Amino acid sequence: MAQITDKTKNEVKEVVLDFFAEECEIEIDEISEDSNIISDLDGDSLMFLELIEIFKKKYNLNIELKTIGKYAVKNPVQTIGELIDMQLLIIEHENDILEIE
Amino acid sequence: MINKSAFIFPAFITEFTRNEIEFLDKNSVDFNDYLHRASVALNIDLPEFSYNTDVYRNDELNSQLLAYLLSCAFSDILQKKGIVPELIAGYSMGIYASLYAAKSITIEDGAKLIFNAYNLVKNLTKTRIYGMGAIIGLSTEDVGNLIQDSAPDIEIININNEHSLVIAGKKDDVLLVLKKAKEEGAFSAAELTVDTPYHSKYLLKYSEPFQKFINTISIKSAEIPIISTYDQREFTKLSEIKSELISNLTGKINWYKTMQKLIENNVSEIYECGAGKDLKKISRFIAGNYKMKSIYKI
Repeated sequence: MAQITDKTKNEVKEVVLDFFAEECEIEIDEISEDSNIISDLDGDSLMFLELIEIFKKKYNLNIELKTIGKYAVKNPVQTIGELIDMQLLIIEHENDILEIE
Repeated sequence: MINKSAFIFPAFITEFTRNEIEFLDKNSVDFNDYLHRASVALNIDLPEFSYNTDVYRNDELNSQLLAYLLSCAFSDILQKKGIVPELIAGYSMGIYASLYAAKSITIEDGAKLIFNAYNLVKNLTKTRIYGMGAIIGLSTEDVGNLIQDSAPDIEIININNEHSLVIAGKKDDVLLVLKKAKEEGAFSAAELTVDTPYHSKYLLKYSEPFQKFINTISIKSAEIPIISTYDQREFTKLSEIKSELISNLTGKINWYKTMQKLIENNVSEIYECGAGKDLKKISRFIAGNYKMKSIYKI
């Protein structure tokens, strides 16, 4: 289980904001942790999947998409802040994420 | 190595970017002319388009016609600006706008083909309820196993990219497979808002009547090569176009392989010629040295 440091938190936030700014063709300062992924940013499942792939490579994570999918269906995210928190949980727990209470 | 450009055409509009009308206005295109030409050809009344017009949102045929006509208008704008693609591909019903862009058919004849195909396949839904669904986050093998175990009549009728595919069949079976897909860990498993199982075996019986109708349409060889979404061959000849029209309606397609074929052909700039940005979204998991160019920035 990986330790989540402040550095990791900042890195994840930066990657998520950069990603949405580029995908949505908007400035980073137009996105906040309260931004709704669907209604404000026109986000979709494929964007979520792509972010997981980015973090999988960046942190060399041992994760199976199906496992993350099962967790995501039970714990849907709506805002950028919630998405960042979920990415941190994935980095921390990898394939054991389903065991989180 | 010469880098090439391609136009790709969507089949439907999931969501507008809301830049469409501004783009038409900025380029001095009166979209009502396109609607009028199709209306006259089909002897129907396609009303003026706005983002909230129910006539286009709630009706499968009208939404197909709107997607087609917007694609034709956008292709005209790009080509008038001197952007002429070396290759073309159309996602599913995007074949009709592809043929228009390749100067193989007129706007009117494209509308007639859509109208006839729609009315033919509608006969199928008179006796049974069908549907389609999109699954994101499971492999083709995973979905194949789910189908085998729960609803063997369901078919994977299109692969969008590495992580996304489309199924079709009887509606109850579609819903069952979508439910199983969610349980299996799909990130998304959603029913599509169509009640026709396009590209499935159920449409095969319409090959012959559609062929007869195609023979009544004046089709010319394509001036720009088109990549088949059915078998990824490049075609321009009349006989190939007629064959593709049948295969595109009644056979399985593979958008992933079609995009890969464009990339293999050194296409480095791809313009999504249509409303919304569904094809850009799908391209996320299609690797290659290419850029999806936004037509709105031209």
